[in-house]
Amino acid sequence: MLQLDSVSKSYRNQKALQEVSLTLRPGEIVGLFGENGAGKTTLMSCILGYLRHEGSITLDGAPITRKNIARLSFATSVHSFFPNLSAAAHREFYQLHFPAFRTRRFEGLMEFFELPMHRPARHLSTGQQNQLEVILALSQGADYILMDEPFAGNDLFNREDFYKVLSGILEPNETVVISTHLIEEIQNFIGRAVLLHQGRLIGDKSADDLEAEGKDLVQFVKESYHYRADRVSRALGSFAPDDHDDRNPL
Amino acid sequence: MKCRLDSLCPVGLDPMRELLWFFIGVGASTLYSLKFIFSLLSTRSNLLYSLERLPAGDAAMLTMPCFSALMNGATIGFLLVALCMPALALVHYLYHYQGSRSIYLMRRLPQRWELARRCLALPALGAAAALLCGLVITLLWMGLYLFATPRELLSPLWYL
Repeated sequence: MLQLDSVSKSYRNQKALQEVSLTLRPGEIVGLFGENGAGKTTLMSCILGYLRHEGSITLDGAPITRKNIARLSFATSVHSFFPNLSAAAHREFYQLHFPAFRTRRFEGLMEFFELPMHRPARHLSTGQQNQLEVILALSQGADYILMDEPFAGNDLFNREDFYKVLSGILEPNETVVISTHLIEEIQNFIGRAVLLHQGRLIGDKSADDLEAEGKDLVQFVKESYHYRADRVSRALGSFAPDDHDDRNPL
Repeated sequence: MKCRLDSLCPVGLDPMRELLWFFIGVGASTLYSLKFIFSLLSTRSNLLYSLERLPAGDAAMLTMPCFSALMNGATIGFLLVALCMPALALVHYLYHYQGSRSIYLMRRLPQRWELARRCLALPALGAAAALLCGLVITLLWMGLYLFATPRELLSPLWYL
């Protein structure tokens, strides 16, 4: 179990995370949502130990150190692979450093996405690079797979394929935390939604709870953010020309 | 050998290219250090010329300039190569931010020293090798200095 207890992080005077407490259980697929700057990436960076923070983060009761860090993997939209290395060379590197590396899963996913095995990653398209990044994170053999906007730049078909494949290959003890803005797309795929707003945790609901309440994920997100449906029409109304102004302000 | 060097520099960086630049640096430093030989030979021939022409009393006053004066920074190139190595270590670290953020992967490897090793090993070895080359060249030139200088022109300090 990955447990976050009152995790806070500040950049100078800016509070990026404020007292975030969260428990991620084995086998969950969690969607992490929030506006730009809500703290999603910061939260993942704190979990992975990239950032110093206040509060505690433990993995099955133990702090995250070099001893258990291999139980976490990470896929990011800025990519963490080596651009000069081919997929085959990445496989060798991962096999060397992560003893639980899932070679069969890696090869299966490479084949499914038809990615070239021997071309340097820098020569792949953005979509292919995203796929390689995600494949490596899924194949590392980690129990907790963190993904930060992994599909930025992928087309819709690619993303849908990926959700289906992911649902099919995950083992019951593998936990996926996926941060994305593609709420509607991902709503049938995740089992739990966690919402961040200005560094605070403002919502945490399971798909079952939402179903019992008769809400969908988009509704839940809008309610949690106090989204005003009339916001756009009011704004447009305020732009309308008044009696003394014949010019179109837009 | 390449495989061994591969594990000492950032993943995906060609160690042979770095080795080539190192050898160019050391080669240029060695060539620059040859100025000592020219200086030694010209000073020696001037002294020998004077020795033949001066009266015996004055000739006894002639001595070869000391070794360090003749060296006159001839091995500075090796020091410069060694001083470039911290910059190379920085280049190695920044390499993990180029084209991707492979620093994220390196920082979450179970092997604590992997990132440090890959950033620092070659620069540290390079600095040590450059300084060692400088020392070897200095000793070699010192031997040449003693060999090429007639006994009567050597400073008495060498006999202490």
